[in-house]
Amino acid sequence: MGYSFDFQSVSFGPLWEGLIVTLELTVAANLIGVVLGFPLALLIMSRFAPVRLPAMLFVEFFRCTPAIVQIVWFFYCVPMLFNVFLGSMTMGILALGLNLMAFNAEAYRAAIQAVPREQLDAGIALGLNPLQRTLYIVLPTAVRASIPVLLTNGIGIFQQTALVAIVAVQDLMYQAKSLATETYRPIETFTIVALVYFAVSFPVSQVVGFLERRRQLMMS
Amino acid sequence: MALDFSIILRFQEALALGLWTTVKLTLICVVLGCSLGFFIGLARTSRSTLLRAVSSVYVEFFRGTPVLVQLFWIFFCLPLILGVELSNLTSGVIALTLYMGAITSETFRASLKSIGPEQLDACVALGLPRRVQVTNVILPQAVLRAIPTLLSNCVSLFKESALVSAVGMADLMFVGQNISNNTARPIEVLTVVALIYFLIAFPLTRAVTLVERRVLAKLAI
Repeated sequence: MGYSFDFQSVSFGPLWEGLIVTLELTVAANLIGVVLGFPLALLIMSRFAPVRLPAMLFVEFFRCTPAIVQIVWFFYCVPMLFNVFLGSMTMGILALGLNLMAFNAEAYRAAIQAVPREQLDAGIALGLNPLQRTLYIVLPTAVRASIPVLLTNGIGIFQQTALVAIVAVQDLMYQAKSLATETYRPIETFTIVALVYFAVSFPVSQVVGFLERRRQLMMS
Repeated sequence: MALDFSIILRFQEALALGLWTTVKLTLICVVLGCSLGFFIGLARTSRSTLLRAVSSVYVEFFRGTPVLVQLFWIFFCLPLILGVELSNLTSGVIALTLYMGAITSETFRASLKSIGPEQLDACVALGLPRRVQVTNVILPQAVLRAIPTLLSNCVSLFKESALVSAVGMADLMFVGQNISNNTARPIEVLTVVALIYFLIAFPLTRAVTLVERRVLAKLAI
């Protein structure tokens, strides 16, 4: 192989800025997804079809189309359809946040369905109203049970943030692309960037593994 | 603003060609990726430390980095390292196969784990050689149990395949974006593209639930 490596020419300044943008996107999207995913899950499980069907359609649409299509669609179509012009960062957060919301709603749904029936009966016996039952019985149990999946979805969205580079948000991937073109050093740049992404997601996925193992021990 | 969806009809053929590229790419990578994934899954449960370490690093790395970064790496870096030109399709197939191999190996690993140690003991007692153990005892059960998750892995792969548009492969997404840029009608074109993806992926996800019930009933667990 006649290729000489030169990691010196990769400047870390832009990559660092890019990583900050990527992390901002991840945190904001996760806030939207974790908070709004729960009410969405309740909507999916509603007994009233006019409430349930649109919510299900929303979730299935986000889960069954490629994230890149959603992001490009958002960036091109939302300004035209609704006549609103938001900053590219806001658009990115919205697109990724809605996507994560759909995935988290499914995670919450599974966890809510796993809440034992007796607990709800106990709630009724204690004279709690439906809102109290949801807030004090279903929410704490379901959230705790869904933490591993929420974390996995969170890392998933961290990786999906790389897609906003395609619509010119200056995240880590975008900086990597421009750096690779400027310096003619694609191997070094993309390897470093891959390692950076890996360094963030790997510890989180280890935590997920740990939580799941602990859960299995507690169940058995 | 007037929407005019009839514009799609003019580009039917181009979209169909793009869809064909997407489907072809997905099918090739499903076959290659699942086979790779099965062997990696075996390697991760093997007794040799070296095999376990190498396969773990591979799987964790491909699961821990964005597919887009993997694609870029393989499109721009692999030809430099190998010193040969790779066609778009070859690079796309390599990248998505490696990704699919990593995610399906986890599926296979979980299903391999569910095969009890008593079965292996039975194999030893019957004096079956290792190769027969793998092909006649482990493989059929592991595959059967893995089918529902494998199907959802296929749906993920189908969705991730849209990323190859970013490196200039003319798949459905790439064609759609091109048409939308040239006609300045992103709403109609991109919505139809999203709908096409949805119409393929949605029935597949429903099939996952159906197959899951069937498999669970068959295994009676």
